[in-house]
Amino acid sequence: MRYDRITDAIGNTPLVRIDPAVHGLRHIDLFAKLEMLNPFGSVKDRAAWNMARAGLPGAEADGSQIVELSSGNTAKALAVIAGMHGLTFKSVTNRMRIPETKELLLLLGAEIEELPGQSECLDPTDTEDPLTLFHQALADSETPLLHTDQYFNPRNSAAHFEGTGPEIVADLDGRAPDYFIACVGTAGSSTGVAGALRAHRPDVEVVGLVAAKSDFIPGIRTRDEVHEVGLFDPDTYDTLATVDSGQAIEGMVTLIRRCGLLAGPTGGAAYHGALRHLREADARLAEQRDDGPPAERRTAVFIVCDRVEGYLSYIRQRRPDLLGDTARTPNTLAGLSDADVAAAPAVTVDEARTWIEGADPLIVDLRSTYAYNALHLAGSVNITDEILGELLRAGLPFARSRPVLLACPVGEQSARYAALLTRMGHPDARSLTGGIVAWRDAGAPLTRD
Amino acid sequence: MAEPLYLRPRLDGRAASLLAEPGLLHSLVDALESPLNVVLPEQAAANADAFQEVFTRHRLKGRVLFAHKASASSALLRRLAATAAGVDAASLGELRHALGCGFAPERITATGPKSLRFLWLAARTGAAVAVDSADELDMLARLLRAHGLPRCRTLLRLSGFSAPGVRVRSRLSRFGIPVAALDDVLARAAGYRDVLDLVGVSYHLDTTSLTEKATAFEGCLQALGACRDHGLAPDVVDIGGGFGISYLAHREEWDAYTSELAAAALGARPALTWGGHGYGLRNDKGTLRGSLALYPSWRPAAGGHYLDELLSAPSSSALGGRPLASLALEHLYDVHAEPGRALLDQCGLTLATVQEVRRPPDGGADLWVRLAAKADDIALEEHGVLLDPVLLPRPGSTGTSTDSGSGGPVAVHLFGHLCLETDLITRRLVHLPRAPRPGDLLVFANTAAYCMDFHSSRSQRHPAARKIAAWRSGGSWTWCLDDAYWPLSTEGDPQ
Ligand SMILES: Cc1ncc(COP(=O)(O)O)c(C=O)c1O
Repeated sequence: MRYDRITDAIGNTPLVRIDPAVHGLRHIDLFAKLEMLNPFGSVKDRAAWNMARAGLPGAEADGSQIVELSSGNTAKALAVIAGMHGLTFKSVTNRMRIPETKELLLLLGAEIEELPGQSECLDPTDTEDPLTLFHQALADSETPLLHTDQYFNPRNSAAHFEGTGPEIVADLDGRAPDYFIACVGTAGSSTGVAGALRAHRPDVEVVGLVAAKSDFIPGIRTRDEVHEVGLFDPDTYDTLATVDSGQAIEGMVTLIRRCGLLAGPTGGAAYHGALRHLREADARLAEQRDDGPPAERRTAVFIVCDRVEGYLSYIRQRRPDLLGDTARTPNTLAGLSDADVAAAPAVTVDEARTWIEGADPLIVDLRSTYAYNALHLAGSVNITDEILGELLRAGLPFARSRPVLLACPVGEQSARYAALLTRMGHPDARSLTGGIVAWRDAGAPLTRD
Repeated sequence: MAEPLYLRPRLDGRAASLLAEPGLLHSLVDALESPLNVVLPEQAAANADAFQEVFTRHRLKGRVLFAHKASASSALLRRLAATAAGVDAASLGELRHALGCGFAPERITATGPKSLRFLWLAARTGAAVAVDSADELDMLARLLRAHGLPRCRTLLRLSGFSAPGVRVRSRLSRFGIPVAALDDVLARAAGYRDVLDLVGVSYHLDTTSLTEKATAFEGCLQALGACRDHGLAPDVVDIGGGFGISYLAHREEWDAYTSELAAAALGARPALTWGGHGYGLRNDKGTLRGSLALYPSWRPAAGGHYLDELLSAPSSSALGGRPLASLALEHLYDVHAEPGRALLDQCGLTLATVQEVRRPPDGGADLWVRLAAKADDIALEEHGVLLDPVLLPRPGSTGTSTDSGSGGPVAVHLFGHLCLETDLITRRLVHLPRAPRPGDLLVFANTAAYCMDFHSSRSQRHPAARKIAAWRSGGSWTWCLDDAYWPLSTEGDPQ
């Protein structure tokens, strides 16, 4: 397929059947609308482009900056669109909770502005909430601004009313599905798609999914927060249900490992929420079939908003087991017992000072380079513990003929590495007992040289 | 009434055990009048140990400095003087009080806005001074030279931190030296080396946000590096206070209550507050605007746990991503913390007598309850903390309450005894398990931090609440007036 501009590639995303062997529904066909295959990576490409497009000619004429309250996908899409049109983009956020997203946005050329957290010593009469402050700042800005206003802008849901919804109907041979399930962030995609589907058949059952209160699923709102969204209308949804982050990640893992869909957490949340809702419907259909004429097959569609790659730290925080390094090589700290570490050769600060004079050991400082540069033992080399760990996987990086003195802040890491070096056959690797803290406390010299 | 919406307080060990003595509490209020403040010095000592334990777990040489501003109690301060903790004194009066309660000057840091007299006493005795601005640094150096005072341990309080690549629209702070101006201030500090001993840098951010504090912590590490370029070698990072208290026993109650507040603001349920007050929320054509101007009464991580999370937070990639505690340790830096609120978690209760219970004139179902106390005496609401009082019926009192009807849960408005429409103990409708009767006690939990002393007044010649210290001794509770407390038993053994 050939395009003149990448923005022309927004939309027309695939609708992919989920294998019944995976979802286990007997009377319902379940489809995933793969919004993650939009060019900038998410469902927000449509809304961002539709919201920005109208204002672009004017913005280009007076050099406006595009501004949006977003900590994720809308910001990504807008940053790219701004860049393509020679404009700058600023994302204002109070919850840049995914470090990768922040770095990616910076790479895309976005400016990031963070709103302050809640005051600890509260003044209850101060009702200047961060959003009010944000809107004041917009009004006071000296540079002209194009504020896309995704939570209130009807062009957000219109992108889905005109694009996503009709595409689903076309791919289902002109029929709207019986069920439509989507997560609610700005409510743009669910509102737009639901509207388009209901125009075809008013009885489409629409399920909106929000995060459980005090939980966090990137990109969607909690049950209370949806009421702060201008596009949110409770009547859009037949059911508004909650999903927690654990369920979102479980659903995501199924989509990734069983269906080949590299979905992010919101895709997983939609899949989980869809199945939970549809299982009940499926059971009712089975009953109907038992005592009456065979029920018609039903169809359900859910949205996969974006891809998994940007959420590794989110997953690491909640499910480290999914990223676990289970393959143990012999030369790692993990293979050491407490007894090995306790038996590691060690020297006190006083012994070390004499030993350094006499035997000239190689002094290895395991701390971070930043700390090493500030102060260290004279003549030492800096190999941070992670790097030494990597080196040792491959074998001994030191000559056996030269003694080694290992130093870390308090002597814990150095004892482990001394034990490991000894086990790997180094004849004289010793740990500095009490570490560089004890060295300093004993008044022994440290330099910056 | 519909399902009651409780916000029941978290009551740990000592406070819970004291509440199990209604006879004692009633006789105390009978003798000493309502309202009455009770502080629990042993709990403060336990809290200080718990904070210290977090530093120890991170292998850090840490120091806990109690932010005196949170309480005026002598008993709490004297008990803390008998632990390893120090004090953050923010006024001349607090400094004098701390010295008089047994804190040696080495354990005191003077912070906040400073008068010449405050600076003089701090420098004269040998307390550390956290300097707030370049001008204050000059003022301190002039004072030290003019009076031939001993070399003064000095910290620079910094502000205006930013993370790489991000502009932080922080709340404007009146305090601290902007990190952007650090170089100039360090050049001055180097010039004052004869009289000033620069021992560290500090920050205190008024935010619950861990990321903002992690950014500031990192900024301090970088500032300590910059000090070396000026030939100065400070090695303390003082991370201020703001570790918070989780006031409620049940997260579900907080979640449900705040959801209902939002629903009430949207008109989807009857009001939960006096006059439909929205606590910062408002309805804008069906969309909820504003934000809850409330302290997060239930917090997933508060106090020592919050400190632990901060110390465990990874540094930015510019600093290699190691946890902040490891970075501090590797640099051989000590970390000081100044918890005020968090150090007084579970350290005090405020008791108030129910004076009158009546039906509102419009015949509504909610009861109007007047206490023998003013809103100032129980300043939970002033600090945005929503918390149900515990009802302690007067022992032996029988008969039914004015209007309690079934004797089940009731919704009440709590009024103070000032002749003033606005003297509401709380603006919200409080749900209690049964109707209170005149003579019953309402006990407000966890008031030691800020709520007892910060706003207390003698308006309309109502007495300010008396304060007593209570502790367990040989299986029963003992008490004395706050000012009569010393951390000694009558035999002179440690209590
Ligand atoms: C410099 C300083 N340290 C510590 C605190 C205590 O904060 P908290 O009571 O929230 O722990 C404050 C509070 O204002 C402060 O200004």
